[in-house]
Amino acid sequence: MVNIFKRLWQVNWAEQWQYRANLIMYLLYFLVSPVIYLAVWTSIAASRGEVNGFTTNDFITYYMTLLIVDQITSNIILHIFAYKVQDGSLSGELIRPIHPMLTNTLVNNIAFKALSLMGLTPIWIILFALFRPDYSGVTWLNMALSIPAMALGFIIGFLLSAAVTSLAFWTTRVYSISEFYFAIFLLFSGQFVPLPLMPDFVQEVAKYLPFQLSLYFPIQLILGKLSPEEIIQGFLAGILWLPISIGLFNWVWREGVRRYSAVGA
Amino acid sequence: MRYFRLLATLLKVNIQMSLAYRADTVVNILLNLMWLGWELLGLSIIFNNTETLGGWGPGELIALLGVFRLVNTMMAALIWPNTEKFNQSVRDGSLDYTLLQPVNSMFLVTFSRITVWRIWDLVLAFILIAVGVAMTGATATAVSILNFVLLTVSGTIVIYSLWIVLIAFTFWFTKFDNNVTILQALLDAGRYPVTVYPVWLRIIVTYLIPIAVATTIPLQALRGELGLGSVVTFIGIGIASFLAASSVWKVGVKRYSGASS
Repeated sequence: MVNIFKRLWQVNWAEQWQYRANLIMYLLYFLVSPVIYLAVWTSIAASRGEVNGFTTNDFITYYMTLLIVDQITSNIILHIFAYKVQDGSLSGELIRPIHPMLTNTLVNNIAFKALSLMGLTPIWIILFALFRPDYSGVTWLNMALSIPAMALGFIIGFLLSAAVTSLAFWTTRVYSISEFYFAIFLLFSGQFVPLPLMPDFVQEVAKYLPFQLSLYFPIQLILGKLSPEEIIQGFLAGILWLPISIGLFNWVWREGVRRYSAVGA
Repeated sequence: MRYFRLLATLLKVNIQMSLAYRADTVVNILLNLMWLGWELLGLSIIFNNTETLGGWGPGELIALLGVFRLVNTMMAALIWPNTEKFNQSVRDGSLDYTLLQPVNSMFLVTFSRITVWRIWDLVLAFILIAVGVAMTGATATAVSILNFVLLTVSGTIVIYSLWIVLIAFTFWFTKFDNNVTILQALLDAGRYPVTVYPVWLRIIVTYLIPIAVATTIPLQALRGELGLGSVVTFIGIGIASFLAASSVWKVGVKRYSGASS
């Protein structure tokens, strides 16, 4: 199994490396929104001293941390998997004795992540110099705790995206469904604003949904903004959502593959 | 007149093509409404926490959202589909047929593909602008509304001209087919008044990729912040950039020698 992953890594890394020019465009797309939200909220905080307990520096560190956490916990399954179902090229992967989603697609995602983090690093340093965030509230303990938190966030997000993308077995409109899923994610994950600034009902619902585990929870954990109870609550939510997302993905996948009749067959 | 008839014909062709995907049209409009709801929720979150954003009130930001959506619709309904077709036609040489038509080639390249359902988006944009302007109430005068309309048109022309220049580059560098991505990536900056951005970002979206010329500046005119001098200047910039883009296009077409030769 280790050898399989090693070989998959070599193939997928080489593949991603080929597209490094596209990576710059991807990063540009990815950067613009958080930087704009950062600018909007720091300007509001600066004019009022603070917004709902968030100071200017809180907003700067939140969005600067978001840039990194989002790279680590997000995935590109939709873009690398949906078309394989549609044009039938998945057939070749299905006859292999390894799970297409949990091996090849997973490794491809990680290779993309490694490359985009490499590309992001110099840009992040420039933004650091421009915005001058004060990271003095971060402790080593928080950093250490954030590693399992981000791992949980990535795995749960990966499985849920994999389940949504697997709807491609049923419908060609999987891109529209994903857009809807993405909007829900945007609302409840803390991508737009830190969740405490959201309307109360959104905050309440977000607590029970898995989306904040990918962004809001790890970010606030790193920044040392969570109380011990909130940290335990977050990890518990993660441990609860993990089996749910595993079950959901397995179910959608099993039914989907059963329905799948490759193009041309 | 001839060009209006031609435009009507192109629109008819595109409507016929899109009729094959009726269900997709419904889905797209629903998603579009969802994003509108999301954008309005975003604005309400902002104004729940503050009275003004960089001195701008809710009405002004709704009008700005309308203007932003106008530009965004131009991107989605014309610029993207036509760029795709154009890049393809430069690569495989089918651009020859476009150039051989007895019609202005820039016109044909701009309007040959139209994403028809986006007309709905245009309606929404106008509603947002009207609601936003009405909400600003007493501060808007007849003159400022006129300036606002004129600058929205000229700002949109500036972005259109930039697009023409970007795709004309393909005549020199055939492999330049990422041409419009940079425009789309920075477009999001048009959602908020650029006056709240840090200086470096403001410079990028005002001078380098002038999204602000089509979004923030018309709104500043509506707020009565621009004197007659600046209004005339920005209209002049609109006309100048269109003329510049047309001449870059003409030089580019002269350079073009087909795909096989």
